[in-house]
Amino acid sequence: MSTLEGDLMKAKSTSLVGALVVLAALALAPAAANAATLFGSGSSAMVPYLESLEKGYKKVNPKFKIVYTANNGNAGAKDVQDGKSQFALQTRPPLPSDSGLSYSKLFLDGLCVAVNPGNNVNGLSIQQVKDIYLGTVTQWSGVGSSVGSPISAFGRFSTAGLYTFFQSAVLGGATQATNVTALDKDGEVAVAVKNNKAGIGYVGLANSKPGQSGVKRLKLNGQPCQASAIRTLKYPLSRYGWVVLPAKKPNKTATKFADWVRTSYAAGKIIDKAGAVPAFNAKKPPKKPKKKNKKK
Amino acid sequence: MNPEGLRPDRRAELLLGALVCGVLLFVLALVVFVFREAWPSFAHNGLGWFGSGGNPDQQIEKIFTSGNLLQDPVYDFHAWPIIWGTFLITVVAVILSFVASLFVSVFVVEFAPEWIRRLLEPVIRLLASVPSVIFGLLGVLILVPFIGNHVITDGNRESVAYVVSLSGYSLLAGVLILTLMIAPLMVAVFVDGLRSVPRGWLEGSLGLGINRWRTFWKIGVRTARPALVAGTVLATARAIGEVVMLAMVTGGVAFAPNPADGLLFFVEPTRPLAATILQTAEELTSPPMRQTIFAMAAILLFSAMMLSIAGWAVKQPMKRYGVRS
Repeated sequence: MSTLEGDLMKAKSTSLVGALVVLAALALAPAAANAATLFGSGSSAMVPYLESLEKGYKKVNPKFKIVYTANNGNAGAKDVQDGKSQFALQTRPPLPSDSGLSYSKLFLDGLCVAVNPGNNVNGLSIQQVKDIYLGTVTQWSGVGSSVGSPISAFGRFSTAGLYTFFQSAVLGGATQATNVTALDKDGEVAVAVKNNKAGIGYVGLANSKPGQSGVKRLKLNGQPCQASAIRTLKYPLSRYGWVVLPAKKPNKTATKFADWVRTSYAAGKIIDKAGAVPAFNAKKPPKKPKKKNKKK
Repeated sequence: MNPEGLRPDRRAELLLGALVCGVLLFVLALVVFVFREAWPSFAHNGLGWFGSGGNPDQQIEKIFTSGNLLQDPVYDFHAWPIIWGTFLITVVAVILSFVASLFVSVFVVEFAPEWIRRLLEPVIRLLASVPSVIFGLLGVLILVPFIGNHVITDGNRESVAYVVSLSGYSLLAGVLILTLMIAPLMVAVFVDGLRSVPRGWLEGSLGLGINRWRTFWKIGVRTARPALVAGTVLATARAIGEVVMLAMVTGGVAFAPNPADGLLFFVEPTRPLAATILQTAEELTSPPMRQTIFAMAAILLFSAMMLSIAGWAVKQPMKRYGVRS
């Protein structure tokens, strides 16, 4: 931002036209701007993680700066294809339309199935969750709960990354039934389940934290929705967060940053704190953290 | 670049004229662009686009994946539940709001004591400018749980459990909040209209011994009809285009509430056009999906145009004895 303002200040003294030209040049050629500034776009679910990671990476490279547009995963991948972004963050594995892109896994994230804390059910099987979301089971008594009213299932729209993931991992590719109330954001699902004693919903890790979110995470196939089970991939709804780079000539700052996120001990700690699960990060702090990070 | 013969005011005239032409061209380009993008979706489905058949959410998913997997584009789309939802929410909210606004504005202009009037008017104007997302938040946190926990019974839920889930996210929540949102807009326009009724006309009627209520109803409201139409058109346009709030409280399922379900009808979920566009907007990367989204946008644009034209047409015969607005 500071460089932009500086340019504007200079431009003001010349003329309005000059300012416009400078602005246009900046907007058209992000790649030509300061080398330590990365332009990225993609998944909105990854924004909180990216923000804390950007802060952490400043210790390695003080000039480092990210300009990120959360226009969702698919659009982000397209931006990288078109050369509009230097990297994208994505929550789904590559598709055939992703030609010319290289996907690499960054860390793990989990999707929890949560119910109202008043519900006495503690765990469900994937099959039971599938039955609920396909509308074949509509009573809580059908899945061993003592809640007297019919199930109020909450989910997301077909456009959400979490929906796509839930659909392939739980529903076997089928569309969720019309008796699932589809909401716009992850947090809205958590609020809806919290306010509805017969509610059930699928919510990301960050919005289903025990204690503060007001919802109760369920065990799926006997595995709890928490870091320990997600790290080992035993929890059935574990998934990777991906970084998308152009397959040819990726930006060097971007690859360095991605490697740091993937492997460094410091990034692992940040990921853990932000609510996701580090997958490939070093378990122990390196002896001379700065040098080691630079090598990678 | 030396306008030798042009006087300053002449220059301003030309500049403003050019600006107006620019705006007109822009609107024209917008309409052409939207309809051109939308055409493949309409061409493929024909009138079936507006009909019912299947679950639009499933269709959207198929359209989207066909584009993303680089398969042959799929265009099958039957938007009836979405159109029906838009229609219901808009019409019910506009009717409720019209009745309420009319009484409120008659009260404000004619019957309210001076201090109430001075208090009410700024409050109403403020209400008209509250961002809709705030109403949406109130809806999600207060109205929706209230409907879910106190209006809908377990028996109700039971009766439709296999088709839809009655959780409080509903037509009713959408209509109530939308009414609250568009009423201040209507009141603001109605009040201006009623106030511009010539004093003499009302006093003449009063002088003949006709009571205040009847005078105001027969002379004031009647004369202000063009303003009533203008306010209604304005409010309807806002209702059709309302996005964020409705996406938050109506339940997000492309389901057509069924009048045969009796009163339950009002607590069934639905999803209007504008909210559907908002929620599918991130699928713009898939070409057939983009065309379907533009088709929905074209319908919205078309309804808005028709609304303006209808408002204008309705106003024509009233103009003779009415006040201008």
